[in-house]
Amino acid sequence: MTKPNTGALDPQQSANSEIKSYATGFVVSLALTVGAFAALLSDLPATWKVALICVAALLQIVAHLRNFLHLSFSGRQSREDLLLVLFSVSLLAIMAGGTWYIMSDLSGRMHQASDSNAATHDVPTR
Amino acid sequence: MSGGTSPIFGNLDWNVTPYTDLLRDVNSSTIVGAGAASVLVLGGIATLLLFSWMRWWGPLYRNWLTSPDAKKIGIMYIALALVMLARGIIEGFVMRAHQATALGTLAQPEGGLVAPDHFAQLFSTHGTIMIFFVAMPLLIGLINFVLPQQLGARDMAFPVLNQVSLGLTAAGAGLIMISLLVGQFGTGGWTMYPPYTGKIFSPGEGVDYWLWAILISGMGSTLTGMNFAVTIFKERAPGMHFMRMPLFCWTSLCVAIMLIYAMPALTVSSAMLALDRYADFHFFTNDAGGNMMNYANIFWMFGHPEVYILILPAFGVFSEISSTFSGKRLYGYTSLVIASMSIAVISFTVWLHHFFTMGQSAGVNIAFGIATMIIGIPTGVKIYDWMATMWRGRVRITTPIVYLTGFFLLFVIGGLSGIILANPSIDYQVHNSTFLVAHFHNVIIPGVLYGMLAGIHYWFPKAFGFRLSETWGRRTAYLFVGGFVFTFMPLYVLGLMGMPRRSPTFQNPDFMPWMYIAAFGGVLMLCALASLTWTFWTSYRNRAALAVPGGDPWNGSTLEWSTPAPVPEWTFPCIPQVTARNEWGERKRAGDPWQAPAEYTDIEMPANTAHGLLIAIAAFALGFAMVWHIWWLAILSLLAIPGMVALRGMRVIEPTIIPAAEVEQADRRFRQQIASLTPVTRADEETERNRGVPDISEFAG
Repeated sequence: MTKPNTGALDPQQSANSEIKSYATGFVVSLALTVGAFAALLSDLPATWKVALICVAALLQIVAHLRNFLHLSFSGRQSREDLLLVLFSVSLLAIMAGGTWYIMSDLSGRMHQASDSNAATHDVPTR
Repeated sequence: MSGGTSPIFGNLDWNVTPYTDLLRDVNSSTIVGAGAASVLVLGGIATLLLFSWMRWWGPLYRNWLTSPDAKKIGIMYIALALVMLARGIIEGFVMRAHQATALGTLAQPEGGLVAPDHFAQLFSTHGTIMIFFVAMPLLIGLINFVLPQQLGARDMAFPVLNQVSLGLTAAGAGLIMISLLVGQFGTGGWTMYPPYTGKIFSPGEGVDYWLWAILISGMGSTLTGMNFAVTIFKERAPGMHFMRMPLFCWTSLCVAIMLIYAMPALTVSSAMLALDRYADFHFFTNDAGGNMMNYANIFWMFGHPEVYILILPAFGVFSEISSTFSGKRLYGYTSLVIASMSIAVISFTVWLHHFFTMGQSAGVNIAFGIATMIIGIPTGVKIYDWMATMWRGRVRITTPIVYLTGFFLLFVIGGLSGIILANPSIDYQVHNSTFLVAHFHNVIIPGVLYGMLAGIHYWFPKAFGFRLSETWGRRTAYLFVGGFVFTFMPLYVLGLMGMPRRSPTFQNPDFMPWMYIAAFGGVLMLCALASLTWTFWTSYRNRAALAVPGGDPWNGSTLEWSTPAPVPEWTFPCIPQVTARNEWGERKRAGDPWQAPAEYTDIEMPANTAHGLLIAIAAFALGFAMVWHIWWLAILSLLAIPGMVALRGMRVIEPTIIPAAEVEQADRRFRQQIASLTPVTRADEETERNRGVPDISEFAG
């Protein structure tokens, strides 16, 4: 088993494109992180800040998967990668959606009568 | 904890050991506490002396601690788990003994062997240890040992990462162990629900011990999950299609997926609680916008898949042994695969049933109640499949089959009490009572513990070259079955009588008969532990008579039985070509299965490295330093971990090459030995005539 199992690419040849991909990913991630902090420190309304930070986070996930973890939908592993993404997304949807469902229900029962104070909690309110 | 935080020793001073408690106040509780610490200290000293006396330090370091071999890592995981199991069982016994003496009276409302705070520490450590440092290392160890062999792979996909995972788990276990001697453990139960475990209500070091043990070992488990998944996807032998994989590999795949997606939830909830405690965050506090209900939500998002992470490898073991020891092909392979995968996915949709009574509306409860009942269906399918596998087979009542029978009888009861609890309206009546305690012990002991012990018994010859004593193995199994029945069946009754779980005291004399029965069960569990230890010892002493150099003592049908016992470092002299589902069985059917490979090649193995060991030491130092607020050490070890990873990344590391000649020589010797040994029939399987070469004409799997 001395054969490498990484798709038998010539390391010298692929090194250039590898470094390019990592560098792009790094720059994009850095920009998105700085962007999130900039959004936080800006004078935008709170809802906008949260939305911007969430979008930056999601984009950063995509950048990491694409540039660092070599996820792609074309080529030898496209089918496996697609299944992986679909499975992950469905599980994350169950977790995030379930949390939303449970916590908003609880929040509704806890804070229904209270004022807008409840809206500043980290729990989504109805 | 008096005075300020010292810059060098943090919050540590001489008042943190149980001995100072004993000096301050001599009673049964402090005696038990100091006794436990003494066992730890004396055990440690005895181990040090034994290893020095036998000159084992060198071999231990060279052959084990620095080895990236998945088989050795698996064995080390299991050794760690068995040590922790001993502590867990003893703690369980102390709790049973306490409750049997804890009837309060008007004159003396609190009684019993240990103080209430000590009792709370006992149930917290017992739960934490049994879940995270017994069940998890047992199953991860077993998968590490078996999975590559069954897949026809040389090793795990990432051998050094595997070492790091083991190191992180051991570091977590070390933190739990040291809490016996230095300071107190948390009193919030194994789930450590805030706000009670927040800084305001639990200011000491106890919760921090739990947090860092969980954060560190949880990271290890996540990495292990990734390692397993990549191994199964990328390292299968040629021809080993997914639908040709043995069932144990399938359940390992399910476990890997669940580890990857569930463990981060635990890391997140623990990290949030840590931020609350260390950095004055307000995720789970009562005021300032905190919401402690979200802790339960995130924790159980991990916690429920965890239950199936624990049970699925046991299901895999039972699939293997029901087929092997009945001399029959596994019934309903496809349905078992589908059932395992269904369980893996549905287990992510049921977490709310752990907090039905938290106050959400009925609709939410019903949705999760229904999901919970649905997950019982695939499990039922599996039970029927195993019974059908054994139906009309020539079943040999070996130790694993005793465990399997105990599992059939008891696990079904546990599963049914789970279905009862899945109904929110019933759950409201019995939640937080010992009925629940009985339920989850009823699935975890007959499920996980019996499954893992059966697996250890089944694969032990592969690891060490000799079988375990069947007589003592069966005695241990009977004791575990009896111990379980006597300890936990009374808890169902007590729960229905209204006894809350985790009570240090109670006032109802009607509880006492059941408490005594449960305490007797605790004694049986202790006996089972002693018997388990004796099984290993007596088998080791009789290792010559029990040796099975042929490597196939049970007439198995999967690939791991094609190699010698103990299995060589390189496992397969030549990676096998797989043509059928039960490859080894098909080769037996076709005639002589022990044919030498056509040619031998050099084998490349990962070189030994101390990487995992060093990271484990740094992780332990980090956890300990954070618990005691020794900031300089915390910063140092936190920087050391990425530093070591980066350093290793920059070095060129040459693998070890095992020359073809050496492999050929060992393999030829093995083939000659096979030819010289007399095949053993099933009837003689337990006798000394079993040298690991079965009578292949009897093979019917």
